[in-house]
Amino acid sequence: MTSMRLSGIKIGRRAALALALVTATSGFAFAQQTLKFGLAMPLTGGQASYGNDQVKAAQWAVEEINKAGGINGKKFEMVVLDTQADPQVGIQAVNRLISVDKVPAFITAWSGVVKAVAPIANDNKIVELSIGANAPDISKLGDYVYTTFPLADVDIRAVAEYSAKDMGKKKAAVLFINNETGIGSAEVYRDTFVKAGGQVVAYEAYDQKATDFTGPLLKIRASNPEIIHLQGLVSESPQVIAQARQLGITVPITSYSGIYNPKLIEQLGAAAEGVIATSLAPGASDSPAVKAYVDRWMKEAGRPPNGLPYTQYLYDAPYLVAAIFTSLDKKGVPLTGENVRKEMLAIKTFDLPLTGKVTFADDHTVNKPVYLVEVKGGKWTSKAVVNNK
Amino acid sequence: MMNVTVISQILWTSIATSSYFVLFAVAFALILKVNKVFNFAQAGMMSCGFYAAYVAVRVLELPGPFGFAAAVAGGAAMAFLLERFGFSVLRHRRASPMFVFIFTIIASQFIAYFMMMIFGTWPTTIFASMFWPVTLVGEVAVSAWDVPAIGATVAVLVGLWAFLRYTRYGQFMIAVADNADLAELYGIRKDRVLMVAMLAAGVIVGIGMFLYGTRAQVQPSAATELMLFAVAATVLGGIGNIWGAALAAVVLGVVQNSSILFIPSAWQGFLLYAFLFFAIVLFPSGFHLPERSKKLKRTVAAPVVATDGKGD
Repeated sequence: MTSMRLSGIKIGRRAALALALVTATSGFAFAQQTLKFGLAMPLTGGQASYGNDQVKAAQWAVEEINKAGGINGKKFEMVVLDTQADPQVGIQAVNRLISVDKVPAFITAWSGVVKAVAPIANDNKIVELSIGANAPDISKLGDYVYTTFPLADVDIRAVAEYSAKDMGKKKAAVLFINNETGIGSAEVYRDTFVKAGGQVVAYEAYDQKATDFTGPLLKIRASNPEIIHLQGLVSESPQVIAQARQLGITVPITSYSGIYNPKLIEQLGAAAEGVIATSLAPGASDSPAVKAYVDRWMKEAGRPPNGLPYTQYLYDAPYLVAAIFTSLDKKGVPLTGENVRKEMLAIKTFDLPLTGKVTFADDHTVNKPVYLVEVKGGKWTSKAVVNNK
Repeated sequence: MMNVTVISQILWTSIATSSYFVLFAVAFALILKVNKVFNFAQAGMMSCGFYAAYVAVRVLELPGPFGFAAAVAGGAAMAFLLERFGFSVLRHRRASPMFVFIFTIIASQFIAYFMMMIFGTWPTTIFASMFWPVTLVGEVAVSAWDVPAIGATVAVLVGLWAFLRYTRYGQFMIAVADNADLAELYGIRKDRVLMVAMLAAGVIVGIGMFLYGTRAQVQPSAATELMLFAVAATVLGGIGNIWGAALAAVVLGVVQNSSILFIPSAWQGFLLYAFLFFAIVLFPSGFHLPERSKKLKRTVAAPVVATDGKGD
């Protein structure tokens, strides 16, 4: 009896061990069914209003991809981490995505962060997709850094050329925030405008922490420009425009997609008239898919997304990653950073739901039509579509 | 570029925009003088003042004056909470000044994150529109915001001066600032006086944030950056010198804005801190004007002279 009981206990222990092993193995097998990629965006801090909406757009896409069967039946997972749009925090987030979550590719934005984490992506041979940042030198950050978003030399070049050639402006002033985004884009505007036959009569930067812009605006006013290009952030751009109008500067003000937001009109009222912004994605009137997407925002969030075009790119990003993963998975090739990069370049052109076709050029850039929008009669109206050569 | 119009415009705008910085600096200097605390938690009082006004005007759609009252109440309410459940507790537990200082930094971040959770991080203003109409005085653009802002700041400064000089609690605050233990021996209730000082600072920053938030966008972390200017002005104005801090805030604003006439505008922030660096190194106790009372003290403390005409 005793021996039987003992053996029963032994059997029980073995059974438990086997059961534990089976459970662990099946758990491992189940974990392998999940194919991950990373998303590092500002979820807190000054840029979080944009970051959170972009993450939400990407989450919708991941949900829809999974609803449609995932990656060849396997679950598609997005690991989201906060960068606060701060390079240092971005480095921590990306290190974690690579070393803890073991992602073969990750998406990030904001030029400072994109640049700061590029060496990590290159050293670890993990694909970094910059989506939304537009500093021109992003195309030169290394073999593993790509963008699906046109860089500043696309939309800023378009707005500079349009100002000089189509609007016939001969004298421009450039006012920009003294950071990575501002400096690079201001240079592109200046060079393009001059090349198009115009003259840059004032070229002024303002401090990132400035709360008053009278000084640089007075310098600009003294230079008597026919048009002003403002390269700032959403947090201070409305105040810069308000102060410009208060100081009697009535010439058209161009900027980039950062200020393309309904809130600008609410904040500035009549002072917003004549402000021209860019958009790098089709609007609701240009595409039924975009209309359905905006309608979903209105239904679920009660408002359009902050920075609509950016969220369109972020919505499309998981579809791009999923296409690469699906192709590799079908071939039975392991999902490593090196393989993801090779496959991405092999596929080369992706047709995405909200922003259309994107082709990865050999120089790590992409080209897209630029939609110019202008505040007219108290609302954003379509002004022109510029196709860069 | 340098002409009378430009110089006048820069001077006017600098004075107008220094209005809220003066209030932030005065509040900071008041707490430093009376409560002997480098109160970085003032950023939390500022955020609370701003968002109270925001809720009143934008959420509850009340008229502007209610927003003003809400900003004052919000600043004062947060000041009360900080004193009652923070500084007072730390004092009774005999926390070291360094520990209290660390507490103020933690409290400011805690409040910023709390505000972030409630209001999000989207920058916003108290009124939907941030554009103020402009009147040309000569060639100088004077916005409809400028004069009321300067007027409110002057009114607050006069009110504070009168409060400190003519009210019992104002005089108690001066007594506690000079020697808290001695003041207690004379029957002054120190805790109550310190609470009054905090409430006064809360009211002042509430008004300051109402002014700022009607002109520029604010987000929960903005107050911390605005605070740095107040700290700089307080250091420059002489630690514990309320009126020196106010003057320093105006001077700093004018120097920073006027620098555009001589250097590229991108260097304005750099210039401010370069100016501060040298000012602190050369005048570690701040700038001081000669005080009449010192002459009086010298007269009183003159050596006793013996009746025979020889000193002892």
